[in-house]
Amino acid sequence: MMTASKTIQTAMESGFMACHDCGYLLDANKVPSDVPLGCPRCNANVHFRKHQSISTTWALIIAAAILFVPANLLPIMRVDFLGSSEYSTIMDGVLFFFHSKEYGIGLIIFVASILVPLFKIVGLSIILLSIKFKWKHGLRHKTAMFRFIEFVGRWSMLDIFVIALMATLVEFGSFTATFAAPAASYFAAVVVCTMIAAHTFDSRLLWDA
Amino acid sequence: MPEWVHLPDKYMASATPYIACPGCDLLLNKIHSSSGRKLFCPRCETVIYQKKTNSITKVLAISTAGLLIYIPAIFMPLLTIHAMGMKQSGSIFDAFLSFYHQQYYLVTILLFLTSILFPLVRLSILFSVSLQLKIRLYSKSLFFLFRTANYLDEWGMVDVYLIALIVSIIKIHKMATLEFDIGFFCFVFLVFMTRATTSALEPEIFWSALDELKQSSTKTIKQ
Ligand SMILES: [Zn+2]
Repeated sequence: MMTASKTIQTAMESGFMACHDCGYLLDANKVPSDVPLGCPRCNANVHFRKHQSISTTWALIIAAAILFVPANLLPIMRVDFLGSSEYSTIMDGVLFFFHSKEYGIGLIIFVASILVPLFKIVGLSIILLSIKFKWKHGLRHKTAMFRFIEFVGRWSMLDIFVIALMATLVEFGSFTATFAAPAASYFAAVVVCTMIAAHTFDSRLLWDA
Repeated sequence: MPEWVHLPDKYMASATPYIACPGCDLLLNKIHSSSGRKLFCPRCETVIYQKKTNSITKVLAISTAGLLIYIPAIFMPLLTIHAMGMKQSGSIFDAFLSFYHQQYYLVTILLFLTSILFPLVRLSILFSVSLQLKIRLYSKSLFFLFRTANYLDEWGMVDVYLIALIVSIIKIHKMATLEFDIGFFCFVFLVFMTRATTSALEPEIFWSALDELKQSSTKTIKQ
């Protein structure tokens, strides 16, 4: 544990701006406030808090929530087998593994493709609402949840990679072949939106409220 | 384009004994920890600092190994599948092309960035930044490059790809016989090297080394 300086206060309250890219602290009282600042160490754009963090994050998670519907309802993969085509959604893929008793793999796909995007959308909404309504309890848990959302987001790409590999490796002409289906685009968009949302959100706002 | 202010030295807060928590902005006293322990923020429990030894040397060595294996890992076939007297093999690059041929352009771009371009760019940047720190060759772009490498950490997804590869193998092995090709082993090695750069990398060590290199190189020019 590090020790908090004398009284509990933030860098912003004390007039220090922390660079989000390299962690450098600069004294905001001594610099003009009307020009965008470049970090003296790494040259990133420095500000007390990320600009328009809350509205941008809201926009991205609402977009993700809308795209999540076609991503799950439409088929994501098509398998041709001896002249007949079979379309499957993300959930069909999960059930396929459960039916063939590959519970571990089924669970991995379910968590990565369905639970993780859902958790990110719901989790970020809870965090944003608690800033809006100044809910002060459980801030530590919410910060931990945000760190988890940041960490786990990229794992949603799993299913897209599986489809890419299956389409390349299972390609036996008229006998059997695998293809992507429309939900792949929607699903990829969900992943990108939620990952950028985690990036535009500034967790320090939770503690300011 | 807005103008940027480059702060003169006297405005720098480096002289202050404080640092700010990146998670909650709590102002903390800077303490020097020589042990390998992680330091947590007392208010929000974000990891503030984790001492890693020989960060720059390790990153240089690991990124070199990663770059050497990159081409075979991406372009050599991963697996060969035998079914109905036919065989089929493919690489990471072929998998990217398959989405292109199916005209899923958004997914194609995302695949290209996350599995091919970003992992390469990140390794190349880490290689050149750590090499230039070692041989003390300063260039202005180092700061921008290192910032970029930090952003690309989460957008390069070879580790996720490896799990996807294992899932695909389990899916395929039920319906066909498969054999592992050289690309598979190279790719596994690339994933391990990429993960190893992340665990050896302590950004604060790099930032202060870069800052120190900049100060000393501007001094030499003035003399
Ligand atoms: Zn904190």
